[in-house]
Amino acid sequence: MSTTTSVIDRLRARIGVDGPTTVATVEAGHVRRFVEAVGDPNPRWKEEAPPTFLVALAPVSLHLGEAEEYGRGWLNGGNRFEYFAPVKIGDEISARGRVADVYEKAGSSGNLLFIIFETDYTNQRGELVARLRGTAIRR
Amino acid sequence: MKVEVGQELPELVKHPTTRQLVQYAGAQGDFYEIHYDQAYAQSVALPGVILHGLLKAAFLGQLITDWLGEDGTLKAFEVSYRGVDMPGHPYRCRGRVTRVEGGNVELEVWGEDEDGKRTTVGSAIVEVKG
Repeated sequence: MSTTTSVIDRLRARIGVDGPTTVATVEAGHVRRFVEAVGDPNPRWKEEAPPTFLVALAPVSLHLGEAEEYGRGWLNGGNRFEYFAPVKIGDEISARGRVADVYEKAGSSGNLLFIIFETDYTNQRGELVARLRGTAIRR
Repeated sequence: MKVEVGQELPELVKHPTTRQLVQYAGAQGDFYEIHYDQAYAQSVALPGVILHGLLKAAFLGQLITDWLGEDGTLKAFEVSYRGVDMPGHPYRCRGRVTRVEGGNVELEVWGEDEDGKRTTVGSAIVEVKG
């Protein structure tokens, strides 16, 4: 139990601290492979990125080695996307992520650790184009 | 675009395969083994390889953008993964209009397994042209 508590304390100390910024270009070939994998043939994706493509540009969670001391595996609990401007092919997107919250909750088969990640996506003109919130669960 | 509360979005039925999970893993860059390695998935107490939550989100995104066409913009989109889905089983994406206020429209969206159980639930806010 003391190990578990210290893992949570160490993770909580990271709340609000920005991780490294990843810069990536929205490439036509990458978007094509992404929509082929999804099976979404909308011709619109020849010009712009589909709603969830941003997750393919940069990791959606910071690597938190200490979180892996808790439980056996990861589960994705949910995602929330907010869109402020379209993302076009050729845009250069900077993704910056942080831990927004960490907490433990009792589940039906034992305790679960919830880590909320937040990522801001900015384009080459410095406009915030989208924000993603993700719930990662250790079980 | 005419939108009314209660209106259902045309449903989208997906037939995910293990091959598609590998394709998606590569396209997203998510190589967590629970999405393509049966033995690994079972070692972490899963029934077998499972769909990426974000692939299910992409399916629901497609449901919304197919419905909107050129007549609207997606402003926000939220999904919760309530259950696991496995390749080889159909995944049915559905949605319904829950609120209309001028051009602002709220939707309820969800993904169902073949027994009709909602394994993904979510909502979206879209802006439609009058």
